[in-house]
Amino acid sequence: MTNKKQLKLGAFFMLPGHHAVAWRHPEAKPENVLNFDFIKEQALTAEKGKFDMIFLADGVAAGATSLAFGQEYSARFEPFTLLSSLAAVTKNIGLVGTVSTTFTEPYNLARQFASLDHLSKGRAGWNVVTSAGKEAAGNFGQDELLHAKRYERANEYVDVVKKLWDSWEDDAILFDKEEAQFLDPSKVHFINHTGNWISVTGPLNIPRPVQGHPVVVQAGSSESGKELAACSAEVIFTAWQTLEEAREFYRDVKGRMAKYGRRPEELKIMPGVFPIIGKTEEEAKEKYQQLIDLIPESIGVARLSFQLGVNLSKYPVDGPLPDLPELNEINGNKSRFQLVKDLADRENLTIRQLYQRTAGGRGHREIIGTPVQIVDQLQEWFENEAADGFNIMPPVFPSGLDDFVEHVIPELQKRGLFRTEYEGTTLRENLGLTSPVNQFGKVTLQ
Amino acid sequence: MAKKQMKLGAFINLPGQHVASWRYEGTESDRFLELDYLVELAKIAERGKFDTIFFADVFGTPIAENSPSGIKLDPLIIIAALAAVTKKIGLTATLTTTYNEPFQVARRFAAIDHLSGGRAAWNVVTSNNNFESLLFGKEKHLAHAERYERAEEFLEVVKKLWFSIDRDALVIDKEKGQFLRSEKVNPVNHAGKWFKVQGTLDAPSTPQGHPVIVQAGSSEAGKELAAKSAEVIFTAWQTLEDAQKFYRDVKGRLAKYGRKNEDLKIMPGVFITVAKTEEEAISKRKQLNGYILPETGLAYLTAFLGIDVRGYDPNDPIPQENAEIEDKTNPQIRASIVRGIAERENLKTLRELYEHIAGARGHREIVGTPEQIADQLEEWFLNDGADGFNIMPPTFPEGFKDIVELVIPELQRRGLFRTEYEGNTLRENLGLAVPQNPNTRQSQNV
Repeated sequence: MTNKKQLKLGAFFMLPGHHAVAWRHPEAKPENVLNFDFIKEQALTAEKGKFDMIFLADGVAAGATSLAFGQEYSARFEPFTLLSSLAAVTKNIGLVGTVSTTFTEPYNLARQFASLDHLSKGRAGWNVVTSAGKEAAGNFGQDELLHAKRYERANEYVDVVKKLWDSWEDDAILFDKEEAQFLDPSKVHFINHTGNWISVTGPLNIPRPVQGHPVVVQAGSSESGKELAACSAEVIFTAWQTLEEAREFYRDVKGRMAKYGRRPEELKIMPGVFPIIGKTEEEAKEKYQQLIDLIPESIGVARLSFQLGVNLSKYPVDGPLPDLPELNEINGNKSRFQLVKDLADRENLTIRQLYQRTAGGRGHREIIGTPVQIVDQLQEWFENEAADGFNIMPPVFPSGLDDFVEHVIPELQKRGLFRTEYEGTTLRENLGLTSPVNQFGKVTLQ
Repeated sequence: MAKKQMKLGAFINLPGQHVASWRYEGTESDRFLELDYLVELAKIAERGKFDTIFFADVFGTPIAENSPSGIKLDPLIIIAALAAVTKKIGLTATLTTTYNEPFQVARRFAAIDHLSGGRAAWNVVTSNNNFESLLFGKEKHLAHAERYERAEEFLEVVKKLWFSIDRDALVIDKEKGQFLRSEKVNPVNHAGKWFKVQGTLDAPSTPQGHPVIVQAGSSEAGKELAAKSAEVIFTAWQTLEDAQKFYRDVKGRLAKYGRKNEDLKIMPGVFITVAKTEEEAISKRKQLNGYILPETGLAYLTAFLGIDVRGYDPNDPIPQENAEIEDKTNPQIRASIVRGIAERENLKTLRELYEHIAGARGHREIVGTPEQIADQLEEWFLNDGADGFNIMPPTFPEGFKDIVELVIPELQRRGLFRTEYEGNTLRENLGLAVPQNPNTRQSQNV
């Protein structure tokens, strides 16, 4: 029973909920998006459910240029701040934050994650993203960087951050009061990195993180994203609609790992899932319909316009999509663009039908049903090499998370698919990931 | 009880304020990266009714085997965690304007202010050593004048971002589908010499209007920037006369920026060693000096004098001043403070000097009974030398507990310090007004 392979779960926190207009739902608490006590309760619920981690998305823009600004919620906590405060009130759950490589110095980012990993005793994770979009660039007085260049820089950036984390060997600190030896300087290393984009001497001013490195998460599914993930990611959050697509992606990415000297189990693939849970299937469907009915046309069209890079407000909402740009013209999220376009083509959807379908999961898989039906579907993907786990996206907080923890997790546990106690105290231990070898420590020093 | 009371900061510098205090048996040196330990210290400070805890920041300090001074966790990560487990105390963190972006800084401090219910403060500094610049791919740090020019514009942009969404912009009307009122959003459109920022923060103005602005430099440019925009100054003075001169000077500059005397609190640093008897206090202080290795003391002095005295005999005389002092920047001011101490205290050798400044680092030092210490603080406070003090305990946790248990009650007995917090925000406790959103003011005039 305990030897059976178990799936990993992330609790994707997005307040007031993942659905486009979750904030209008009667059960939503939009007035609490900046209320720490409320968010703390959500974290404690997730920890009670034995989730591997809390996951925070991020974007360095308020969405003020969105067509529907004012009708959407537009307030959230900066992720480092929130994760650090949650570290103080939780014990076991992982704390994964999205931070863009585009507008932060690698030294600062390495330091922030190292600090979080120490204070949380080894529970930090970094979701590496690059920033697209004019609004984000405008906040930093920069021009938008092209997709390919962003990834090239991100590759080097991750490399530098890991070097900084490794600049202290695990046993560098001695605390020897008698001999006045606080540390062994031969175990602290300059990294002296000079690359195409970045140059940093190091060392970091913080001893090696508890986990060696905080867990490195990656979210993009574009060609360059897959390569970056195979090379350096330990968790991938991704979006797939069908078992077939998910399996293809799983095989593809895991197959690229060998050339980087990595084994398949060193990377956990966790697609996003948007669950709508009912006591009966009918109840779940009613809940889903209720959410859809809340979406004003203006928001639905604005969201879809953003995802597809086309202003759709000029077209009849009950008509088909206009001609879309080619994939190579998209500088934002390429894989999400493809996914939404494929969905429209496959099911021949109108603009309205399409925004209704993508408003909740934003392109992630939606599962609507009873706890047993939901677990059936998760199990199918898990046992057919489509996923090592899932990133759960409750439509509305707190009710969506409460329902998942009270009804779905026990069903997963009953089938032996999910833990009943945390395996360890660090995020790596719970995910079953080993600590990375220190690249400088391997070298025998004179 | 209407008597004016002093403000107090608790300067937490781990493992200890004194250069060799990590070797003292009572110092919990091995816990300095642990959140539980930081929480204990924050709660001691809150029990003592301190206005704020204060974290300095530095990076790029050379790593030395006999000193922990090269190690520092990110102060914002620390105060975010402490916000979750404290109730009343202010949370002040230092962050440089030299290697950060205004949007990130505005976001992080806004998040902490929301999270803590209005207890955040930002100590605005500039970075001035070449070890730091190399961590950010720069050959050399910015010249003093440019650093301050950048800092001034940086702060201006950060404040604009803090006010970019009014506090009452969030209407959250579920029925109408209106989350915020667009007319309460004031997009920033800044184009200056150093920054170009077009955007909106993703959180409304914070519970304090904006976090409290702290400033630490005492150079000419520093004083001007402080008079323009600081609400608290942490500074270093040895004599009442010098402190009074600084106090008059900076407060005298306020009027031209339309500010009143009480809009700025001047809080010099004070290193306090307290015991029930004077003999005991003196012997405690001497004991710490016994832990200083000559090479540690000489390296420490090198940083203060701006002259490399490493390798000298500690019994050598203090070398003459370096002739080529350029402008009055902070390192030079620090050097002249240290030379002033040597002259006033008649210190002849390098050892005498480093032992004298090993704790206070150029700040004022007081050793004695609770009465003697309160006498000296009272003298400065009642004679326009200070509005309060940033207290630097010699050791943690012991030396800090001694201050809370011995000195604070004496100040309270004299009516010089609060027995209960006046309010829930740092501004309320410091007696600082909530800044008005300039955008709101304009619209009221129309």
